[in-house]
Amino acid sequence: MKPTGILFFPAFDWAISPTHPEREERLLYTRDQIFEEGIMDLPQIKEYHPRLAEIRDVARLHFCIPSVEAQIIEAHLVSAGSALVMADAFMQGEIKNAFAIIRPPGHHAMTVSHGNRGFCNINNEAIMIEYLRQKYGIKRVAIVDTDVHHGDGTQEIYWHDPDVLFISFHQDGRTLYPGSGFVEELGGPLAHGTTINLPLAPKTTDAGILYAIDELILPMLEDFKPDIVINSAGQDNHYSDPLANMAFSARGYAELNSRLAPDIAVLEGGYSVETALPYVNMGLIMAMAGIDYSNLREPDYNPSRFKESPRNMEYIKKMVAQQWNAYKNREETIADNRKKSGNFVNYNKSIFYDTEYIYEDQINHLRICQNCGGFRMIESRAHQRTGEHFHVFCISIPANACQQCQEEGRAAYQDMIKKRPFDLLYLQDRVKDDLRIYKVHKDTETVL
Amino acid sequence: MLIGIDVGGTYTDGVLFKQGAIIATVKKPTDDMNLKSTLLEVLDELLPSAEGQKIERIVFSTTLVTNLLATGQGERTALIMLPGHGLPHDAYDICPDIFFARGTVDFRGNVIEKLDQKEIDDILARIAAAGIKRVAVAAKFANRNDILEREIQSKLAASYPDISVSISSEISNKLNFPRRAATTYFTAMTVKEWMQFAAEIDQAITERGLDSELHILKADGGTFSLDTSSRRPCETVFSGPAASTMGGLALSQPHLNSVVLDIGGTTSDIALIIDGAPLYASKGARLGKQYTHINAFAVNSVALGGDSCLDYDGEIKVQNFRRGAAACFGGDYPTVTDAFNCKMDLGIGNAGQSAEKLQQLASKAGMKSSELCRQVVNIVIERLVSSIEAMFREWENEPAYKVWEVVNRRKFKLDQIIGIGAAATAIVPQVAARMEVDSFLHDYSPVANALGAAVVRPTLAVELHVDTPNNFFSVGPGGIRGSLNDRGGMQLGEAKNMARQYLLDMCREQGMESYASESSFYMEEQFNIISGWSRSGKIFDVGIQIAPGFISEYKGVSS
Repeated sequence: MKPTGILFFPAFDWAISPTHPEREERLLYTRDQIFEEGIMDLPQIKEYHPRLAEIRDVARLHFCIPSVEAQIIEAHLVSAGSALVMADAFMQGEIKNAFAIIRPPGHHAMTVSHGNRGFCNINNEAIMIEYLRQKYGIKRVAIVDTDVHHGDGTQEIYWHDPDVLFISFHQDGRTLYPGSGFVEELGGPLAHGTTINLPLAPKTTDAGILYAIDELILPMLEDFKPDIVINSAGQDNHYSDPLANMAFSARGYAELNSRLAPDIAVLEGGYSVETALPYVNMGLIMAMAGIDYSNLREPDYNPSRFKESPRNMEYIKKMVAQQWNAYKNREETIADNRKKSGNFVNYNKSIFYDTEYIYEDQINHLRICQNCGGFRMIESRAHQRTGEHFHVFCISIPANACQQCQEEGRAAYQDMIKKRPFDLLYLQDRVKDDLRIYKVHKDTETVL
Repeated sequence: MLIGIDVGGTYTDGVLFKQGAIIATVKKPTDDMNLKSTLLEVLDELLPSAEGQKIERIVFSTTLVTNLLATGQGERTALIMLPGHGLPHDAYDICPDIFFARGTVDFRGNVIEKLDQKEIDDILARIAAAGIKRVAVAAKFANRNDILEREIQSKLAASYPDISVSISSEISNKLNFPRRAATTYFTAMTVKEWMQFAAEIDQAITERGLDSELHILKADGGTFSLDTSSRRPCETVFSGPAASTMGGLALSQPHLNSVVLDIGGTTSDIALIIDGAPLYASKGARLGKQYTHINAFAVNSVALGGDSCLDYDGEIKVQNFRRGAAACFGGDYPTVTDAFNCKMDLGIGNAGQSAEKLQQLASKAGMKSSELCRQVVNIVIERLVSSIEAMFREWENEPAYKVWEVVNRRKFKLDQIIGIGAAATAIVPQVAARMEVDSFLHDYSPVANALGAAVVRPTLAVELHVDTPNNFFSVGPGGIRGSLNDRGGMQLGEAKNMARQYLLDMCREQGMESYASESSFYMEEQFNIISGWSRSGKIFDVGIQIAPGFISEYKGVSS
């Protein structure tokens, strides 16, 4: 039997600020717990060394304004690179599954990055997914976001991608950052039904979440038949998390991962550094490695404390049924959208970067394609933290784009070079893996 | 004058060393059934060469503990484990008489669950009823709070005074509960036999009218006194490779990146020296299937040596066994040594014999003798080179937990290969040439192991853990615990001073204070502890050691 790959990268020398939840201490007690348990010595586990992701790996996914180097520091490249190490080990058959226990986290980072949102600058899972598609030809991907906060970054990135099934369950956006992730958010016109949100009431317990796993998420995975399943593994649904209000347990997390059986899990949030993380991480490692976790529990865990209310169970059941229908009817909805839309669908979007107080304004243009999910153009403007203002135009051709979308997208880039109304132009052709930045004022193009 | 004796699995080597020169050497087959007599025979053959001059120090390495562990013939010992809530109990398959009990401490040293008095009483009664006279106790996070282990220790002392007990918090201050439990168990089960052996050796030395310092070689390439050894006898395992590696280092220049390649009869041991310091196994010495907290060199053993015999069954094979000595030393079959002897024209032993036996095999294979030699030499070199390179990669791929460790990714840049062992002269220069580095061979290479034992200094590593919000510190080895005078304001510098002071105290106690000034820090970690949104204190982890090295009397060998 192949081992489970673990890449533990606690970034003991990185913090957003000394007292911020994302500080050096965050994985200290997790380190103490997993080292003291000796679980890394077991033959079921293989521990890996991190590496730096390349600038191209980031630019393949994000439009970092003005450049990748300006938006990140080395810690981000190590964190993203660690996910890539796990992806390589998995694809090369060295391990049966993988868990990247890494920080900084990533799931609030969106396609365009002007700064840090929700403790995230770049999206580790999505960078990994585009790397997997580029290097190994992976097509269909399922991401299950188990963080207590809505994975709005990952959702935005794959909003128009019909080959990525993004499922997020989280504490209801009316009660928690980032205030999104409602049942009506189902994906763009050509990818409707491959974004699924399950906003849960505060105090939802193991029973409620595991019901959604069994009755909705597993059947969806079964039906969608992804090439790979990723767990965007936040740990802040835990009952002791200081930034959220749920009632999930370490054993619940272990059970969830055992049932979900993700190929690769990547750590996201989770800020109960002393009373949850050491035990939740142990639970995840044990579940993924197939080690019996019935002896695992938090010191203060008392199962009788957390009973799902019949009312909440009713709410979850209703929502599960509703989302199953949205998913099942997605092809009809998409066909309908194709018929009734013009050549492009255009929409505005305002994005707030809570960590750095940046307000970004976007105009999005999606090509309504008859053959694929369409390519996307994003016009974005923001005053960054430095006070500098950027007005940029970004063209993203997805990995599974058809030839026509690819040609039109590339032509649009050339066209914009002639029209020049922006500071910077970006081309991201994921089919050809051709990544370019055009500096309008200097009239120079950089090919990454 | 110095004496070093390395008791190996097959042979025991001894040297008498004085002012840069080896005065006498002795080699004897090891009698596994009676290590003491082998050791004393070698000693008695060396002593006449001293001509009555004072022997300042005698150091020996021994396989006593290795043998006890391999054959399971140590004292019957019960292991009581307090594993808390985590891995299932069947993950801890350390020994036959194992008992699990309730009682849990967390990583900050908080007691989460007290002992179940009745459960412990029952376990102790069962141990006593089975006639077991020795107990090892290991609780998870006992390195952060030893109260549960101490309680069991007191209970035993009160109710069963004839049962001896070892507790894990005194053995190691490091994290990793299974390794700490195994190390405590191995210590407990070997201590009785070891103390008897030590007493007999001590007596034999006294009977010979010697007042030399008596030291034992440890797996970490250092020594400890006979007295200290009785506290942690299992640190004497794997001292053979440690002796060879330190011997190789003693003969060559320090502060280089080296491979020590010890080529024996049928196995070759590879060890790495990084900037003059030997590389340790990152998970500690592995005894059977169990990792431990015993510091041991990272040694990669390849089943290939000078006596490995050559065969042909459709292709040329270098076997992992021997059929006797090399042909050039009168053996009946051609060996690796013979092939190098002919190919490189080395003139080892009776070279004609090498050529003759190789010719016989070459005829069977239907090839020229020169082609046979070329193939054998290639196989041997490639196998050794790939094993060496695998060790480099393993070292480079050790997990890293800080950004700067990943950004400044380490790469092993080899300077030289040090050859040790009888067949090294033939093989090592070729391996070095293939890797495009220098080879280092010395006339004393064949007895480098015993020389290494004779001249290495004592080692000691002390680890301090401080938790200022909890007003707590612990020091290992020895299981020292205490509370801090200072609350909240402590800085890393003070923690380092504290660790240095404990090292000094232990050096004094172990009669090695002359080395205390050569200590160095190998671990310095500090974390802010945040409660709510403000800092409530710090956690420090500091490690300070007297690293492996050589006694001040040793100034190198005269060539």
